[in-house]
Amino acid sequence: MPKELKLPAVEVRQSKGRTLYSFAVDGKLVHRFATISRVSRREGQLHGYQRPEALAHIEEIRNYLESPSPMVPNAVILAFDSRVRFKPAETKPPSKEVYSRPGTIIIPMEEQPDEDKPGFIVDGQQRLAAIRDAAIDSFPICVTAFITDDIGQQAEQFMLVNSTKPLSKALLYELLPQTRAQLPSSLSRRRLPAQLMVRLNQDERSPLKEMIQTATHPTGIIKDNSILKMLEHSLIDGALYEVRKRGNTEDGLEPMMELLRNYWTAVSQVFKEAWGKPPKKSRLMHGAGIISMGLIMDDASALLMETARPPTVQQYAAALQPLEKLCHWTSGTWDFGNGRTRKWNELQNTPKDIDLLARYLTDQYRSLVKDRPQKLRRVAQR
Amino acid sequence: MKFFLPDSQDLVDPSFDFELERRSMTRQRQRDDLYAHEVFSTPAFDGLLVSKGIVDGFGVLGSRYTLSQRRRLQRDGAPRFFRLDNASYPLEIMGDCGAFTYVDEEEPPYSVDEVLAFYESCRFHYGVSLDHVILEFDPAADAPGAEEDVIPPAIRARQQLTLERAREFLRKHKAGGHCFKPLGVAQGWSPKSYAAAVKALQKMGYDYIALGGMVPLKTQEIRLCLEEIQAVRKPGTRLHLLGVTRPEHLQEFSRLGIASFDSTSPLRQAFKDARDNYYLDGHKYTAIRIPQIEGNPDLQKKIFAGQVSQERARQLERECLESMRLFDQGRRTVRQTLEVLLEYERLYDPDAKQKRNDHAAAYEQTLENAPWRRCACEVCGKLKHHVILFRGAERNRRRGFHNIWTLYRQMHERGLGEGSPFQEETGARARRAKARAHG
Repeated sequence: MPKELKLPAVEVRQSKGRTLYSFAVDGKLVHRFATISRVSRREGQLHGYQRPEALAHIEEIRNYLESPSPMVPNAVILAFDSRVRFKPAETKPPSKEVYSRPGTIIIPMEEQPDEDKPGFIVDGQQRLAAIRDAAIDSFPICVTAFITDDIGQQAEQFMLVNSTKPLSKALLYELLPQTRAQLPSSLSRRRLPAQLMVRLNQDERSPLKEMIQTATHPTGIIKDNSILKMLEHSLIDGALYEVRKRGNTEDGLEPMMELLRNYWTAVSQVFKEAWGKPPKKSRLMHGAGIISMGLIMDDASALLMETARPPTVQQYAAALQPLEKLCHWTSGTWDFGNGRTRKWNELQNTPKDIDLLARYLTDQYRSLVKDRPQKLRRVAQR
Repeated sequence: MKFFLPDSQDLVDPSFDFELERRSMTRQRQRDDLYAHEVFSTPAFDGLLVSKGIVDGFGVLGSRYTLSQRRRLQRDGAPRFFRLDNASYPLEIMGDCGAFTYVDEEEPPYSVDEVLAFYESCRFHYGVSLDHVILEFDPAADAPGAEEDVIPPAIRARQQLTLERAREFLRKHKAGGHCFKPLGVAQGWSPKSYAAAVKALQKMGYDYIALGGMVPLKTQEIRLCLEEIQAVRKPGTRLHLLGVTRPEHLQEFSRLGIASFDSTSPLRQAFKDARDNYYLDGHKYTAIRIPQIEGNPDLQKKIFAGQVSQERARQLERECLESMRLFDQGRRTVRQTLEVLLEYERLYDPDAKQKRNDHAAAYEQTLENAPWRRCACEVCGKLKHHVILFRGAERNRRRGFHNIWTLYRQMHERGLGEGSPFQEETGARARRAKARAHG
């Protein structure tokens, strides 16, 4: 191994006294010349600025790096001490209008203990750890570097890159449907629900067309999260799971869409008064209402799908009808039994209230509808 | 005698890769996971016990079920939810209220109607009447001439309430035409009070009676109660012991009318007990702790503070795993393996030695015996040394499954089980296990 690493690089003069270097290097090599400045306190003095590696996060990146054609476009940021040099390709000094010039960056690569290495990782420790651990031979990564002997300057850059605001969840969910690559598990679990949600919000025949509030559709009245939760429940434990399990042809989403369209059209018909109003005026369009009615969708579908699949709007409407007089979406008071009551507009979008309403509605559904299956089956057979 | 395993949504993920410690990206909890009865091809228990308290969650004790799982359990019924069809032997499901979840309440939070509706919708085979646990135990109350006030009225009221609910339960059970078999619950504070409760329940018409509130009792105290009950028990009355396992005393319990019991302790001990984590041949072994750095809050704090180097911790963790792998292949001695394990222990629990809490002796015994090599169960056959590693739910829970299997087998070997499900393949299995241990 040569004692110096020489890599093609570009020098960029950014502001007075501030010069950056941009180059590519095999990520597997970085730990040989750069280390992480771990934060700790020795005799009262603060040392370093980096936190420990987040192993779960590294694992996610690592899985991605081991997928067929990974890409990591953002550069890691390194701080070098003055042992690292830049040699311009041309000796002629650049003119004023030219802010960058090509050349070679020269990094010492001697075997040395961590604290003597010439580089510090300012940003990208998780990515570099994932590249280090991944079962791949090499992975070139873009580097942006600056040269300084001042640890304060390093800490300052570390704080700047790490105090950005994370993307809003709403925007992530909206972007999700068009992705195909391997995503972090928390996101990939939501991909199918997000695909269904976007179609519910857009399809011409969808009863929820333009009613869901998303990043690009801020005027929607139902929160994206309520719809996603409803869809997730059904995809894991309910009717959508059953539809999906049966396997489908070309368009995997269409059978699920058909079921959703039919059911929510029936909801809009049976609860005409409460449908389409903002959640302030109707609890049906609110998290508790959407999620509870989603569970009823699963119960009703299980019963109806014994004969029809997917059930029609009429069948769903017949199944929902008995619940109509019990619901207080827009006025009055819910009586959940055992002395528990809620005025219609006191129902909150909290796990406790969602649970209360969902239990009540599903229990009522059971006693009013499920226990008279003969009658319902007749409707289904019509 | 029948053994019921209480459900607490204990499943394992079959996609989990023990070498890489990864699982499938598309795995869906519960749907793709396996229950103990789906892991073993030979019986490990006779049935499941499902508690309303565990399913619904009560107070601060949240539910073990998601909202939509709960719906599915009641929609599809327990036999389908728990995929009993996947077991290669018949299993039954018993429902109870999970009275310990509401033990602090003045009255049970459920009505008899709610409980009946729950059992019916879950399609259980057995349903235990609504009860209220009594935690006081004082045999002095039985002494001749003992004062009435040895036992406070509030405690007596709990027994009364339990009996009244049992009466209502049986009446409504009959009127509602329910299919499950009803069990009455006896609660008490002394041998005589238990016997009185059993007598009352028999009079109502129960011939299968669950004994509640005995979890905290000493074996001797349980025996005294059973002997007292024996005096009033009709020949046709069967007893169920709620939440109690005393493997050494099952023979005696059986003689005293215990027809069934339920217990999670073989499962829990695998990852809750300080020492007894792995059962085999009547012995209990200590599992080898190789905690994940990220799963160990104390170590994690030290790493964050910069007092322990994360690189060092990771290195030791990896070395321990590697050492155990090589040990199982016969390429490391007990001593070599022990050295690495204890070095890691000194890092994550530096005071262990001072507190006389280090695992040197216990690990040595586990490694010397390498019991997993001799076990004939599917878990041990598949996991090899991973079954003995105390690390993460996937390993720990499988070890718990192994313990359940072992306990059940012991029961049958002592002639306590119903039928003899093992006879046919015991020989072949033992031979295979032997071959594995030698090869």
